[in-house]
Amino acid sequence: MNRIAVVLVVVALLAMGGTDALAQREQVRIGISLPLTGPASASGKAAEAGYRLALDEINKAGGVLGRRLQILIEDDGNLPAKGVPIFTKFVTVDRVHAITGIFGSAIGVSIVGPAKLHEPLIAMLGAASPLVERGFEGYKYLFHYHPWAYHNMEAVFNFMEFVRTGTGASTIAMLYEDGPFGSAGIGDTRSELIRRGFDVPFMESFKTGSGDFTALLTRAKRHPVDVLFWIGFDADALPIAVQSREIGFKPRLIFGSPASWPVGYEGNPVARDVAGMAGWTSASPLPASKEFVKKYQAKFGGLTEEYMAPMGYTILTSLAAAMNKAGTTDKDRVAAELAKTDTDTPMGRLKFKPSRLSPSVYQGFDSDLWMVFQFREGRRVPVWPKHVAAGPLAWRWR
Amino acid sequence: MMDLFLQTLANALIQSGTYALASSGLALAVGVLHIVNFAHGEFLMVGAFVAYWLSVLAGIDPIVSLVPAGAVMFAASGVIYQASIRRVLLAPELNALLLTFGIGITLQNLAVLAFGATPRVVHTAYQLTAVTVGPVSVGVAPLITLVVSVTLLAGMYAVLYRTGVGKSIRAVAQNRTGAHLVGLDVDRIYLLTFGIASALAAIAGSMVLVRIGASPHMGFGFVLKAFAIIVMAGLGNLTGVLWASLVLATAEAFVRTYVPGGGGAAEAVFFLLIFFTLVWRSWRTA
Repeated sequence: MNRIAVVLVVVALLAMGGTDALAQREQVRIGISLPLTGPASASGKAAEAGYRLALDEINKAGGVLGRRLQILIEDDGNLPAKGVPIFTKFVTVDRVHAITGIFGSAIGVSIVGPAKLHEPLIAMLGAASPLVERGFEGYKYLFHYHPWAYHNMEAVFNFMEFVRTGTGASTIAMLYEDGPFGSAGIGDTRSELIRRGFDVPFMESFKTGSGDFTALLTRAKRHPVDVLFWIGFDADALPIAVQSREIGFKPRLIFGSPASWPVGYEGNPVARDVAGMAGWTSASPLPASKEFVKKYQAKFGGLTEEYMAPMGYTILTSLAAAMNKAGTTDKDRVAAELAKTDTDTPMGRLKFKPSRLSPSVYQGFDSDLWMVFQFREGRRVPVWPKHVAAGPLAWRWR
Repeated sequence: MMDLFLQTLANALIQSGTYALASSGLALAVGVLHIVNFAHGEFLMVGAFVAYWLSVLAGIDPIVSLVPAGAVMFAASGVIYQASIRRVLLAPELNALLLTFGIGITLQNLAVLAFGATPRVVHTAYQLTAVTVGPVSVGVAPLITLVVSVTLLAGMYAVLYRTGVGKSIRAVAQNRTGAHLVGLDVDRIYLLTFGIASALAAIAGSMVLVRIGASPHMGFGFVLKAFAIIVMAGLGNLTGVLWASLVLATAEAFVRTYVPGGGGAAEAVFFLLIFFTLVWRSWRTA
């Protein structure tokens, strides 16, 4: 009798395990690797919010292929040492149907090997370095949503042309942080600006987070500079604006391009009319953006200015739509559908095309993604390009 | 050309105030407790966050906040001292070094968990104000930092050399056993000194908040420079801190201004100063 009971219990347990496994197989699973801790966590957390918002919306609308969509979020700290094992775990242990996230270029480069070994479908959130693009040459399953670094610089050049046309500005001083983010291709950037007719009389590197810019700004002040263009991180934004005032350096425009801005910078009078570049702002007049802002506020009770939030949202919704259209989770058929994507998103029109340096890679947004805003009355007011501008470019920095 | 030179000197003088404030507490800890407190930068960060939240929640100016910031860190350092530091004071120096390094890492990560990694900034009216004398222009905020720094160091000097408590602190610094034998409560004096040193770090944090903001990772750079300053001043030499701060700030300002590519290279200046100071000292005593 006891034996029978034991056998029944074992069979029941096996059956339960089997049911769980079946349930797991039936769910559509997407692995997301994000920097939720460390210096890039502001962007990672914003992207996480975007993914979660999209997940709610997708599951409310019936899920993917009639099944509930499941996302597995892992914190990679923006470190390859964490990002690579997470990527491998997604493929080999979790057996996800697609992988997304991957914010930093260092992780993007590091996963090239495991990706080519396992060939998962990847919808990449960030990793803008062309090294990533080159690394994935010949890979058929990479959809890179974020513009590449050269797209970013194209947007800068186009904005500078706009500034010159509107104001006659032609002299630019450049400050750049001396790490890979600020210094990669900086010589080419200067050459291109000069080729386009700008004068760049001053260009100097700095150590991000050093907090002391007075000497560099003192040198820049000696030149009749129209625009101070700096490439660095959020920690550099306040010192540059404050110390420019302290030493009496008054370019007619301060234009910075950090990935995120300090908390409270918007409301600080020292930031007034400082210009920055963003993939999106909550003040964007695009209908899809307004819709996104409404949904975001309903779910999280506040606003975000981090463009990684709509980026995460856009990736998951487009991926789910492609799976639904394909009618399967088979990566070849999903990739074929994703490649046909042509839709309005909070960040503008999303349409994939062959990537410039590695045509097998699908590239989503390009230089058209970028907009320039100015801090005004505690908000980010888009001023360029024309179709998203909510106000004129404020010239002559006060 | 002369304008550039004068402005560079002014920039150096202004920056030296921040450096002196950031390193005086470390000099005190090294001089009296004989420990290199690698958590000193994180104590500075705590001061910056105390001042930040007082500014955001209660509208208190960071200059006023230097008192509560110093008080909070004074109290917190008492807990840290009793729970950990006092247990390694008689152990080999490496123990204290590793312990304070661990405390620093812990504080840094607690700050990331509590406030996130993104820097936070405050607004004050004088943030936008500068004083111009001839070709030289300096900000009011760093000028205030310089004045606070000189005042605090003068006050510290007065306490150390003109009061009974100061005499006790100096006695313990010179000879712990001797001080104990003449009836001084060495442990209590260590506690007091560590508290003052930590409070000075927090005051420095509330002062730099106006110019660079508050972030969990802001302390490390300061502690490295503070270390260079106390090496130049002579370990534990409080009066030498002002001059050493001026030397470091001047060297950095001139490298940034006159050396091509000096913007990035200036951050290596303190390494060079440590190197040359140590070589010069060993050559002099050889």
